[in-house]
Amino acid sequence: MIPMLMRLKISRNPSSYGVLLPVFLIWILLFALMVVLFPFVLIAALFTWESGQGKWLLMAYPLLISVLFHLSGLHIEIGHSKQNILIAFL
Amino acid sequence: MNEERKKILEMLQQGKVTVEEAEKLLAALAAPEETKSGVEKPACKYLKVIVEPGPQSEDRDRVNIRVPMKLIRAGLKFAAFVPKHAHASINQALHEKGIEMDVTQITQQDIEDIVSQLSDLTVEVEGKEKVRICCE
Repeated sequence: MIPMLMRLKISRNPSSYGVLLPVFLIWILLFALMVVLFPFVLIAALFTWESGQGKWLLMAYPLLISVLFHLSGLHIEIGHSKQNILIAFL
Repeated sequence: MNEERKKILEMLQQGKVTVEEAEKLLAALAAPEETKSGVEKPACKYLKVIVEPGPQSEDRDRVNIRVPMKLIRAGLKFAAFVPKHAHASINQALHEKGIEMDVTQITQQDIEDIVSQLSDLTVEVEGKEKVRICCE
């Protein structure tokens, strides 16, 4: 499942800020951009097919989508004595 | 030596199976009983990396990272994008670090095998900082 929200929490003694970012808006923009760029990628893939790079250009699309779909559950927390940062994809 | 092992080695001697096939058969024999009976360990969903300050550490830095295994699998497929001319540089860099490995010999299947075996991995290093890498 593609993550819809990203939790960002920054704690600085004594205050703490937390936001839930609607990352699905970024995905919508990204997918729109991918669709717009697709004809150019296709042309580039055709021109570079002989060298073997064309195949990878076409592969980039499903691979990128696969990475985005599996971001859900990623949790990164970095703490210091004075500051804590948490990034989590929900 | 039990009967089954003896039989496999005899088959190898007679040329009925190749060395690789015999190796696979012997490995299957050596597999733990629960695997044979179909009871498998729960699949590893996340790879966790935890870094905590040790007792003698002065700085209080902490890192807690949880990466979904599916993301690791998906990300590793990007390894195919490494250009061929970069392989020599990678091999050279590995050689300088004392790792004798040829990256051109690593296939997608090898990577998949390594990732699938990560569920058994637990690394614990205790020094200035405590580092723990495990699957959950």
